[in-house]
Amino acid sequence: MTMKSLTRTISLALLLGGATTAQAQIAIGHLADYSGGTSDVGTPYGQGVADTFAWVNKNGGVSGKQLNVDTNDYGYQVPRAIALYKKWSGGDKVSAIMGWGTADTEALTGFLAQDKIPDISGSYAAALTDPEGASGKAKPAPYNFFYGPSYSDSMRAMLTWAAEDWKAKGKPGKPKFVHMGANHPYPNAPKAAGEALATELGFEVLPPLVFALTPGDYSAQCLSLKSAGANYAYLGNTAASNISVLKACKTAGVDVQFMGNVWGMDENAAKTAGDAADGVIFPLRTAVAWGGNAAGMKTVMEISKMSDPTGKVYRPVHYIAAVCSALYLKEALDWAAKNGGATGENVAKGFYQKKNWVPSGMDGVCNPSTWTEKDHRATMKVDLYRSKIAGATDGDLNDLMAKGTIKLEKVKTVELPRKPEWFGW
Amino acid sequence: MASLIPSGDFRSTYAADTTIFPTAMSRNAAIAGILLVCFAPQVLSGYWLSILIQIGIFAIAALGLNILVGFTGQISIGHAAFFLFGAFTSAYISNTLPIPVFFAIPLAGVVTALVGLIFGVPAARLKGLYLVIATLAAQYILLDFFSRADWFSGGSVPASANPFSIFGYTFRGDRQYFYVVLAYLLVSYLLVTNLMRTRDGRALVAIRDHYLSAEIMGINLTKYRTLSFGLAAFFAGISGALYAHYQLVVSNEGFGIDRSILFLAMVIIGGTGSIMGTLMGTAFVVLLPESMQWISEGLKGSAIDKALSLNNNITFLREIAIGLIIIAFLMFEPDGLAHRWRQVKTYWKLYPFSH
Repeated sequence: MTMKSLTRTISLALLLGGATTAQAQIAIGHLADYSGGTSDVGTPYGQGVADTFAWVNKNGGVSGKQLNVDTNDYGYQVPRAIALYKKWSGGDKVSAIMGWGTADTEALTGFLAQDKIPDISGSYAAALTDPEGASGKAKPAPYNFFYGPSYSDSMRAMLTWAAEDWKAKGKPGKPKFVHMGANHPYPNAPKAAGEALATELGFEVLPPLVFALTPGDYSAQCLSLKSAGANYAYLGNTAASNISVLKACKTAGVDVQFMGNVWGMDENAAKTAGDAADGVIFPLRTAVAWGGNAAGMKTVMEISKMSDPTGKVYRPVHYIAAVCSALYLKEALDWAAKNGGATGENVAKGFYQKKNWVPSGMDGVCNPSTWTEKDHRATMKVDLYRSKIAGATDGDLNDLMAKGTIKLEKVKTVELPRKPEWFGW
Repeated sequence: MASLIPSGDFRSTYAADTTIFPTAMSRNAAIAGILLVCFAPQVLSGYWLSILIQIGIFAIAALGLNILVGFTGQISIGHAAFFLFGAFTSAYISNTLPIPVFFAIPLAGVVTALVGLIFGVPAARLKGLYLVIATLAAQYILLDFFSRADWFSGGSVPASANPFSIFGYTFRGDRQYFYVVLAYLLVSYLLVTNLMRTRDGRALVAIRDHYLSAEIMGINLTKYRTLSFGLAAFFAGISGALYAHYQLVVSNEGFGIDRSILFLAMVIIGGTGSIMGTLMGTAFVVLLPESMQWISEGLKGSAIDKALSLNNNITFLREIAIGLIIIAFLMFEPDGLAHRWRQVKTYWKLYPFSH
């Protein structure tokens, strides 16, 4: 009996193994966080990547070749990411990796350069934007790419807005700024840049407050905010953990303007946090959110149907950002396949071919981006939005958004100068 | 006496009593097995090789824990922190000092042993639940140290480690590193097997069996309990250092209390107080999540997947299974795999006259 089931398992494994190598394909590694500390935003992002590649395969693949995407949940743990990378870099090398977290992407940077495998990460740490290490502030990261403004640039944009906001409100004295987040590479990435600019803009910088990446009771942090008299607080963690802070601070009656990281706020978070999320400022990476009025939104809806044939599921901002990221890679793969084959080196070159480009079919959704051999900051434009909550947030997210109970309201577009002293950190 | 063991105990010398291999056959089989494993990098795929390397590395740490749990009767749920300490130490030594990785690994073991001795001091006086809490403290103190000591561990940013090198020759890739791990595994297992045949080893066992009797017989409890902690930390440090130069990146993630519990699981599943059992238990614990991965991949898109709407949650099956299997082992196989292995051997030896 056991022997029989054993042979069955083995033959199944052989069958699965055989099926994937049947035809010429382009291999892609996909690191997703479905179960770890950032799974709240990792799940829609990972789904977006998976759906996009499934859609690309359905529509003929890349230059006639199907994409063989190896999606793995690594639980936001560096050792698991390294183990997967070993699998993807040894033997049959993958053409590219869709990465995720800051800690694992920064750990892989050296290997990626050595093995010449581009990594389009979900981490927007500024340290990944310097391909040659010319800034002197980061190690060279020639094979790291990401779509959207870096964490540091988002932070700079929000601080620019905050300084104007303080003036507009006509409040006396110096505004106080505080950085909040876990002691982890991801929330820490823009800390130094933010605190430096805040000082320059005339903020008083308070000592940073630490709270974990997982949801929890953060009343103590809120009381610290209150007693220190902070005016502007940056939330560096992902949405689920930030909600805990928003709710605790609402209860504690803290009057602070919160500013979230790109991963720090979304429609699901706004629904869960309810009125506690009202007024949070955060950057949006795409020109529109789900259902927005843009030509490219039709493509996004098509892609979404890959995992939701009914078309009824509401996709948060991270899903759309994932579609953009994956489609930029697809076009780079296209170029590589036509110019000597989809090797990692060619794929990286594929990113450099156009200026201010948007993947085809995504007009009005993805923001135009430019990558060059010397600068991987794809964009310096940061669109700041404010979450508006009007009333109870029970019920279906589609309805809530349609009725305007939850609204993402555009506040300001900050066009940052491409300053050399802001490069790489 | 050459190839068969006579029924009954006819051992008349101490040497015969403490021999590792009771027959020439068993010794030859062990040597042949090791030689066979040496060909693994030539035949196995990268995936299986990485699993073998993981088994080799974790088996050394589990062996250290078995000295503490299985042979001395103490307990530690902070073993992963010592493992990580060894990893960071070896990376730090080989990065900042002009010491090649070859020497950095044993040095990391020694430094970790010293740290283990410090945390072992309360252990000399504590037992049972109190000791659990004391070692839990070690786990958290060390992890907190790693996340703050930027100079040592890089703080929250993962530290990088150099590849293994000896006399200017660098080992690159799993196929070469496999031999490094195999060598360390063999030496560690031989060392501990021998330790258990010495006066010190028997003192540890005496403390485990009844500490009061042991003390009356003149065994220094404080010394041996602390020593046992130091030894456990030493092997954890060696193992961590091997891990660091295998991964080439050391991060303080994934080595929390859950990993410490996994080390305990390796010892319990393998068999407390059994050296070969430790290796079996480690192999079991390393292979378990992998086999769950195969099952969950097989289930993907199947009727069961759809009926339970598992989707992405399928990975959680893995975590559940590990917990269930540990409970099952404690209930049905408390002596571990080593005991089961002995039974299988006896069955075949006596076949077909087992009754």
